[in-house]
Amino acid sequence: MIRTGERQRNILEFALSSLHRRRGRNLSLLAMYVLIIFVLASLLFFVSALKREAALVLHDAPDLIVQRMIAGRQELIPVEYGAEIASIRGVAEVRSRLWGYYFDSWNGANYTVIAHNSPTGTEGGAAIGSGVARSRKVKVGEMFPLRTPGTEPLLLEVKTIFPDSSDLRAADLIIISTADFSRLFNFPVGKVTDLAVTVTNVRELPTVAAKIASLHPDSRPILKSEIQRTYQSIFDWRGGMTLLILLSAVLSFIIFAWDRATGLSAEERKEIGILKSIGWETSDVLLLKFWEGCAISLPAFLLGVILAYGHVFFLSAPLFSQALKGWSILYPRFQLVPVVDISQLLVLFFLTVIPYTTATIIPSWRTATIDPDAAMRS
Amino acid sequence: MNRLYTLFITVCVLWTTTVSAVDKGAPPVPATAKCAVCGMFVAKYPEWVSSTRFKDGSLSYYDGPKDMFSHYFDTARYTPGKRQADMVTLTVKDYYTLAPLDARTAFYVTGSDISGPMGQELVPFRGEKDARAFKADHKGKRIVRFNEITLQSITALK
Repeated sequence: MIRTGERQRNILEFALSSLHRRRGRNLSLLAMYVLIIFVLASLLFFVSALKREAALVLHDAPDLIVQRMIAGRQELIPVEYGAEIASIRGVAEVRSRLWGYYFDSWNGANYTVIAHNSPTGTEGGAAIGSGVARSRKVKVGEMFPLRTPGTEPLLLEVKTIFPDSSDLRAADLIIISTADFSRLFNFPVGKVTDLAVTVTNVRELPTVAAKIASLHPDSRPILKSEIQRTYQSIFDWRGGMTLLILLSAVLSFIIFAWDRATGLSAEERKEIGILKSIGWETSDVLLLKFWEGCAISLPAFLLGVILAYGHVFFLSAPLFSQALKGWSILYPRFQLVPVVDISQLLVLFFLTVIPYTTATIIPSWRTATIDPDAAMRS
Repeated sequence: MNRLYTLFITVCVLWTTTVSAVDKGAPPVPATAKCAVCGMFVAKYPEWVSSTRFKDGSLSYYDGPKDMFSHYFDTARYTPGKRQADMVTLTVKDYYTLAPLDARTAFYVTGSDISGPMGQELVPFRGEKDARAFKADHKGKRIVRFNEITLQSITALK
């Protein structure tokens, strides 16, 4: 037992010193390896963090949203639809929602405007997201105007600015009272944007949705599960952008490993020949190559993953965010909450470290099995 | 604090949270509670949880009315030493409102296309009108009352 340990330690020591001898080549190899792991792991972290954010946002979403469609476009829905839907068995509550988008020609941003009579959102007052506050350069207590279809602009006083921590959800948000909402958009009386339906027993949701559709053929019920599915697939591996980055990273890794696997340099072959001729066995040579592979790929994997963690969770993934976060003008400033999926990391490990180590062993095995003399001469 | 409050309101407005009527009035089901008949964890199926309270104050949970009836008809098999007469209250949940309901007064729909964690179920309702509406919507076969249910009809359910 002690002898086996000693043998392993000696071979490891030899492996490290032989890596040290070819320092330049191995360092560039390590850098390349770290880069690939970094891109792959960053992507993994980024996507799982975004998915978690989306799941958090959707967690409290209503079970069912009812919109009205006319000629394939979403239309305002009459309030009376709500009363009829509330009488369907299994429906616990129907809430009318008033919301819309406001295009700010002053800076080209789009705001999400929601009407709600809350204790802080009295008439003339507004609660705004930090993105709105930044682009309009307003502070709490200051006034800002919004254009209306009439001649008079709507003057609003900033009552609250949502903290940066809610940016992903609330960066472009403006909450005003129902009366102000009607003035801002000249909103027709008796109509609302959509209806949020709560159903007590989730098993009854499809039946309720079918009943709403037959009660009002011009309505479109949207189930929460459908929204969740859409969000998941956007952020999922299938999501176009993610897949492209992943594919290119995996491809470059394959080329990299292939390059290693297709052959050894004449110098390395010579070295194996010498080792064999001074009495090393094939298994010793393979062990040496295994330790060499590990000495490169394990640190590369760890370093790549640590760098990716910092890149995504401390720097908010500057490399991907422009491509993967969609927002028009008001980019939310947000810190992603660290989520590390161990199983995904394991998959990454088995897709990179294991193939790489194998790729370094196979050509050495081929060389180690031929005659040492031939190996040294070739 | 004010900011947090406003944020809370926003989230409510955006996504309309509504407290569901699950477990209203009844003690919450412990996460470790297992069905007295089939042994499955019942907290995973809040819309099906049924329970019985014995004379000595002990509680048994089930992951559906079907298992509750199995226990009711064969009490000693699942709780040795106890008899059917010891069962003081039997509680099921109304399908539409999920409100706890006395199992003895409920209307049950059999043969519907809604199945519970253990397959075919007796779906309980507080009112007969609800039961009729459910029977029409979900291709139910019969509406039965508590005293019409027998051990044979329970074992016939798959």
